[in-house]
Amino acid sequence: MKLTKDQLQKVILSAIGFAILIYVYFTFFLGPLNKSRASMIGSIASLQKKIGDSNGEMRKGAVLEEQAKTATTRFAALKALSPEGAPIAWFPPRMKTFFAAQEIDKATARLDSSSAFKQPELADWMKYAWQIDLPQTDFAALGKAVAALENTEPLLSTSRLSLKASAEDPQHQQALLSVSTVIVRR
Amino acid sequence: MALHLNLLHEEILQQRQRQRDPLKLGLIVMGAFGALMFFYYMWNAYQTLEIKSQLSATQREWAKVEPKVTAVQKRATELTAIISTTKVLDGIIESRFYWAPFLEKLARCVAPNVQLTSVEGTVSEESKSVNVVIEGVAAGREARGAAEELRQLLTEQIGQDHKDVKVDFKSLEDLDTVVNIGGANMPTARYALVVSFDPSAAGASAAASPAPARKPKEKPE
Repeated sequence: MKLTKDQLQKVILSAIGFAILIYVYFTFFLGPLNKSRASMIGSIASLQKKIGDSNGEMRKGAVLEEQAKTATTRFAALKALSPEGAPIAWFPPRMKTFFAAQEIDKATARLDSSSAFKQPELADWMKYAWQIDLPQTDFAALGKAVAALENTEPLLSTSRLSLKASAEDPQHQQALLSVSTVIVRR
Repeated sequence: MALHLNLLHEEILQQRQRQRDPLKLGLIVMGAFGALMFFYYMWNAYQTLEIKSQLSATQREWAKVEPKVTAVQKRATELTAIISTTKVLDGIIESRFYWAPFLEKLARCVAPNVQLTSVEGTVSEESKSVNVVIEGVAAGREARGAAEELRQLLTEQIGQDHKDVKVDFKSLEDLDTVVNIGGANMPTARYALVVSFDPSAAGASAAASPAPARKPKEKPE
């Protein structure tokens, strides 16, 4: 069948129209729709992964909570050893009271220095160095007091202990303790 | 045979041409194809809407879970910090040197004829070793022997709990002073002992003990 010129033009016109239709359909309709669908499927997968991971994390959290019970209790107990306020305000009176209870009446504590810890775990804690002077004590009372101090103050460590017989008063000895305490930074 | 005269030849030709018009045929094909594509699009759109509803449901679920998991994560971080801080603090507590058991042992070692005048003890920050300087006066027929007995006792007693124990005389000199012990006059000697040991071996057993059971005799007679 031989097409006339007019028919040929119409065939070409129809082909162009068809091409435009296909282009418009895929570019402006089906393409964005598929893109949006793919994006939504991706979002669903990502969210479901997050939900799955979250459930895992919540299970782990519950296990950790169980495991950390002892540490939490211990941490709270250690923290409770540091009352509110500046240590210089409460530590010397505490020591005075403590040694008075141990039958060592004259006890004075003075602050030597304070410093932060290098360990990142102890960023909220400070180290305080004190000098505890006990000018009138005796060996037995001091021994008892030191034992009680070491048992009741776990965050206190004695780095130096000096005990000397008093020339004037042979019944008594003079004691000097250099101790360091770990105290919560308030 | 009948004779057919086609008087409408031109009209019929035109009609046939109209029917076979490529533009018209093209439009029909395009229309049919367009309809097909429309239905395909609608089917896709329907599926997309379903996915969208699924996404909304998932988002709602995530919105419920997210605050909980954020709180759990925060708590886990807090707990991890507490655990590590407690571990470090426990390390500090466990690495302390307990003086009370040492003082108790020292008291046990001091015989009635030996007197302590000074005890100076330090715990080294770096090596964690303990150094103690003990000064005093010993009396006896063999005053130096009494001091030596104290040195040996200290070595034996401290060695039970600690390692690398060294007890050496820094000085030991006879004194002119004579003291009366049990009704007998005895010569005296002044001694200075240097005690050093590694407290790490003590471990957990080195917990502070109660006060010494026996008070050393420190009052000169």
